[in-house]
Amino acid sequence: MPQITEVIGISREIAWLPWAVTYFFLIGLSVGSFLLSLPHYLFGRPGWERAGRLALIGALACGMAAPVALLADLHQPGRFWRFYAHPNLNSWMAWGAFFIPTYLSGLFLYAWSSLRPAIAADAEDRGILAPLYRLFGGRALPWLSRAAATVAIIGACLVLLYTGMEVMVVRARPLWNTPFLPVQFALTAIGGAIGLALLLDRLLGGHEAATEARLNRALAMVLGASMLVGAAWFAIGFFGLEARHAQALASVAQHDSFRITAFEGQAALALAILLALWKPRGSGWLTGLIALHAAWMFRWTVFIGGQSVPKNAPGLYDYHLPLGPSGLLGIAGSMGLLVFLIILLDALMPPARARAAAPGEALPGRA
Amino acid sequence: MGSGRRSLFAGLAASLSGTAAAAEPPVPSRAIGPRWGMVVDLARCIGCQACTVSCIMENDVPPDSVRTIVNTYEVVKDGVPGMAMLPRLCNHCNEPPCIPVCPVGATFQRDDGIVVVNADVCVGCAYCVQACPYDARFINHETQKADKCTFCAHRVDAGLLPACVESCVGGARIFGDLNDPNSTVRRRLASEESAVLKPELGTEPRVFYLGLDDVLAHKPEGTPTLWRPQHQEGI
Repeated sequence: MPQITEVIGISREIAWLPWAVTYFFLIGLSVGSFLLSLPHYLFGRPGWERAGRLALIGALACGMAAPVALLADLHQPGRFWRFYAHPNLNSWMAWGAFFIPTYLSGLFLYAWSSLRPAIAADAEDRGILAPLYRLFGGRALPWLSRAAATVAIIGACLVLLYTGMEVMVVRARPLWNTPFLPVQFALTAIGGAIGLALLLDRLLGGHEAATEARLNRALAMVLGASMLVGAAWFAIGFFGLEARHAQALASVAQHDSFRITAFEGQAALALAILLALWKPRGSGWLTGLIALHAAWMFRWTVFIGGQSVPKNAPGLYDYHLPLGPSGLLGIAGSMGLLVFLIILLDALMPPARARAAAPGEALPGRA
Repeated sequence: MGSGRRSLFAGLAASLSGTAAAAEPPVPSRAIGPRWGMVVDLARCIGCQACTVSCIMENDVPPDSVRTIVNTYEVVKDGVPGMAMLPRLCNHCNEPPCIPVCPVGATFQRDDGIVVVNADVCVGCAYCVQACPYDARFINHETQKADKCTFCAHRVDAGLLPACVESCVGGARIFGDLNDPNSTVRRRLASEESAVLKPELGTEPRVFYLGLDDVLAHKPEGTPTLWRPQHQEGI
């Protein structure tokens, strides 16, 4: 094997900035949170009231914050209209411009239609906002809730599909070019959403130990599935069962930074699973944070780490997080917006309560 | 002198035994009009970067970016060290992976095969940058849009050669019409063994290399250069 030393070469810098990580993180959390809200708001399952409310807050807040990061990544947010003026329907990214509004429209309509009776019931306690609550509140419209939920579910699946496929189809980066990627994006998104609900359960008033335990059990299952997918990807590459996966693993396995990240990620997931199963009541702070951390770090490693692997040069490109809008400030700003939206939604959204059955509707467990 | 230098580099190239898998010379199209392509004779490249600089000057490429560069490697085979040059640029592929991913159709291929970006439409999403396996694209920090080699389309349209070809000291870069059986590029491809970069990806590059070592046809693995210029964002 010849020995090669690169004498003259250049770095191609990161082209998908931390904005992209932030967008994929937030939209994933939104979709995962929306799915987590369905047991209460769509199916009326008893015991899911608080989890449903927390998840809906997470879905709405992340759903509103995510497109901001996406637009920021275009360097000039006004460029977004070109996605609709000149769509190239061969591109997954172009489809995303249609899937995101579909999902968000369905989500907002689903939230509003599901909360209508609770908003109306809350009007008297809202002081000067009472007229607004009376305007948006009203009797339950189960047909509208079901229709909106259907649109949102389809939109959510399409968002998960396009965000995964958009990255998976890039053959130029073997690390991305794997069918495991969309699956892992989806699993870490759902895990992160459960983690967010666990965290909100502690941060927002009215902590419920039973909700925490329920969420922890769900989290253990999702993170377990995520570990299995990761292990399958590693095994296919390690044993050389498929050339592209072997190439992808070889491109990163030799670098300490990737090895440490992989070990740290797997150890964190294992710890979260053990904690969630061993102490489902009381560990929500930690398991929630670890799940969110896993969702963020997976995307960070895929996008920023993946782009630091040169396509045509040995070694790794250096990446130092800038402190400005393209780096730390952008991430902090997005997370600040998310916190603000969560606080706002928590203040405005009616408290969790058992969903009243609409006329002619039987709720599971209450027949 | 000229022949001596040629024989020196030819010998050096030959010393790096094992050239890249030969690429099939493109079949001339019956379409009317040219199909532009480039042949790079690596035995003639001295790594002077005149092409890199002339491209920057011709195309107003912003600081810390390049549309073309000559990668230089030390390759040791069987204990024998040698220098290897590899000019890199957009390959103006027949099956360009950058085009289908563009969400707004800003990047497209002209009838003459040159892949260009319509800057009025480009949204700077950098999807094409990710999709190009040759790292030939980048986001221009002044326009915040995708940027790349255009084979100096503005010069070609005016009947001139691309700046890198015109400035090449050793005459390593040969530009011409692949549809013309009498063009130099076609004659060189017909008479000599050529190779393209990453042929396994099926992109069908239209930049051909003469004397390309197989280890450089793919991502080279080895020791990276100690210093790489890189854009740094101000705070």
